[in-house]
This record gives sequence, structure tokens and C-alpha cells, in this order.
Amino acid sequence: MIDILQNITAGLLLLGGAAFILTATLGLVRLPDLYTRMHAASKAGTVGSCVMLIALVFVPGADGVAGRVAAGVLFFLLTAPVSAHLLAKAAYVSGVRPSASSVADELKTTSARYKAK
Amino acid sequence: MSFDALFLQICGAIALVILSLSFLIVAFRVIVGPTLPDRVLALDTMTVVAIGFIAVAAAMTGLVVYADIAIALGLVGFLATVAFSRFIIASRGNADRDVGNEEHVRK
Amino acid sequence: MMRYGIVLILAVVWLAVSASYTVPNLVLGLIVGALVTFLVREQSGEAPKVRPFAVVSLFILFVKELLLSAWKVAKLVVSPKMNLRPGIFAYPLKVETDFEITLLANLITLTPGTLSVDVSDDRRTLFVHAIDCADIDAARRDIETGFERKIMEAFR
Repeated sequence: MIDILQNITAGLLLLGGAAFILTATLGLVRLPDLYTRMHAASKAGTVGSCVMLIALVFVPGADGVAGRVAAGVLFFLLTAPVSAHLLAKAAYVSGVRPSASSVADELKTTSARYKAK
Repeated sequence: MSFDALFLQICGAIALVILSLSFLIVAFRVIVGPTLPDRVLALDTMTVVAIGFIAVAAAMTGLVVYADIAIALGLVGFLATVAFSRFIIASRGNADRDVGNEEHVRK
Repeated sequence: MMRYGIVLILAVVWLAVSASYTVPNLVLGLIVGALVTFLVREQSGEAPKVRPFAVVSLFILFVKELLLSAWKVAKLVVSPKMNLRPGIFAYPLKVETDFEITLLANLITLTPGTLSVDVSDDRRTLFVHAIDCADIDAARRDIETGFERKIMEAFR
């Protein structure tokens, strides 16, 4: 009985995680500029990979995997915003500007660091 | 094979199809660019897709030690993105050469 | 004092990753943790005051917002006509220490429609990219009454 529930939960979590990863990649192609793409990749991507890892906890016969999955999920949650932030900053420094559809760019208008350019 | 074990296998197979599709989409972004940060972001997302593949493989075979590989891959992907970002910041003097799309790259 | 806490956390993470909860393994984790913190001894900062319950509440809020934001982004991406008004706005920081600014920036990145891009040199302004920048004042207010207040409650 427990096995049935476990198998079904694991299967559904795998499907859900894969769907989130698909939306992240779709966003990567459909959104207009790097910064909006980063929203899709860093949020939907992180949730997708975390959900797929969590699915492993429910696979029958998986002993001792819960601790590792918890450590992995925590690790993904901690690193995803760091790499997103660093890449966004690197892109801005290297001269990639938001797309023309943007309504505001206060980083350009208020920060002395980028005024000189 | 019992019904629920079969259900897990079917879900895994569908997830593999979805992930393959995602992988192709990301590959498109890696090739098209247009800027280096775009490509780095796409490669970072590729790591996420690969983690998904590994998770499905672990669930379908029942070999949950694959979870270790997924975590290690996440670690390597994070370090790679950080290293690329530092590289982009360090080489900003050459940024003009990377111009691919005039609408997005304005100096 | 803070260093011992970090060593302990590293040892616990080591136990979880190696999935063998034995005393020798714990000792090994403690030794490696002590070695690692010794290597980065120059970089350690001031220890923040921590209120455990407020931290747990912050974590729950964070997970909720992350799921919500992933759902919103997914919905936006699959909708046939994307009506985007992206932009970068400046957010005046109330939190002061490096630790708090880092935490706030990371939380902002994983919440609906916002992504922190840069911090000004004087550490007073955070530049946030928003996927829907039509109402900047509302976005600022959300951060101020949401995460920034929670962080101040948790670590002061």
C-alpha cells in the first residue's frame, strides 16, 4: 500500500519537475532580453531541479537518500540566486542593456558607476 | 510488474521526452546567443536539465546513488557560472567584439 | 564563536551528504570543517544575532514565495501573448550589514518577478530588475514590508 503511494508520488513529482524545467527553457527562448530570461532560468529552473530531486525520496527502496536530497536542495536554493545575481551584474558591466521594451533603467540613471559610459 | 511501478516507469519516460525537448531548446539558445552572458545562462540551464535527466535515471532504475552525481553536477555548474561571470567582468574591455545584436548591446 | 557554529553546520551537512550517521564520520566532518574554516580565517565577518523562530518564519515565507514565483514565471512563459514591461529600479536599503544585504538580495532574486542586479558602492541602494515594472512604488513597498522587515526581525 505504501509502495503504491510512493511510486505514484515519485512519478507525479518527476513529471512536475520536468514541466517546470521545460517552462524555464521555453522562457529562455521566448523572453526578449537577458535579464527577463534570467527570471525564467533562475526561478523555474531551480524549482524544477529541486522537485525532481525530491521525487527520489519517494522511490521505494531508497534508504538514506533523504539526507542527501535535503542537502542538495538546500545547496541549489543557496547557489541559484548567487549565480543569477553575479551573471546579471557581469552582463550589465560588460554592456548588455535591457531590451527596448523596458519601462525604466534606474541603474543607468542613478548609479555613478555606469554614467561615464 | 505491478501497476504503480509501471506508472513510475511511464512517468519517467514522459519526463525524459520533456527533458529532451528542453535540452534542444536550450541548445538553440546556446547557438543563437546573441551575447556571451546569454550563452552562459543557457549553459547554466543545461546543467539544470542534466540534473533532471539524472534524477529520472535514478528513479527509473532505483539506483538512488545517482542523487550524488546530480548534487556534484549542480556544484560544478554553479562554479562554472561563477567563473564565467568573473571572466566576463574581467574582460569587459573586449565587450565590443562580442556584439551580436545591436538592439540588446548598446554602449 | 561563530567559527564553531560554522564547523558544526559543515559537519552536519557532511553527515547528510555521506548518509552514514556514525560517530567516526561525525569526527571526520568536524576535522575537515575545522580545516576549511582555518583556511578562510581572514574572510570571516561579524556574527549576526539570530532569533530562531523568526528565521524559521523567514524560511517558510521564502519557500512559499519561491514556489509562487516559479508558478508565475511558468504561466507567463506559456501564455501566447506576453505583455511584458520589464525594467530596473533602485531600492533604498534599510538593512546595513553585508550579511543582511546579501540575504535580502538573494531572497529578492528568488521571489516573483524580481532579480537583484547590483549594489551601489555606498551600500545604500540595491538595483533590482523587475519583470513587471509598471508600478515601481508598489514593488518597493512589497520588498519593504515583506523580506526586509522579516530579515530585521530575524537578525536584530
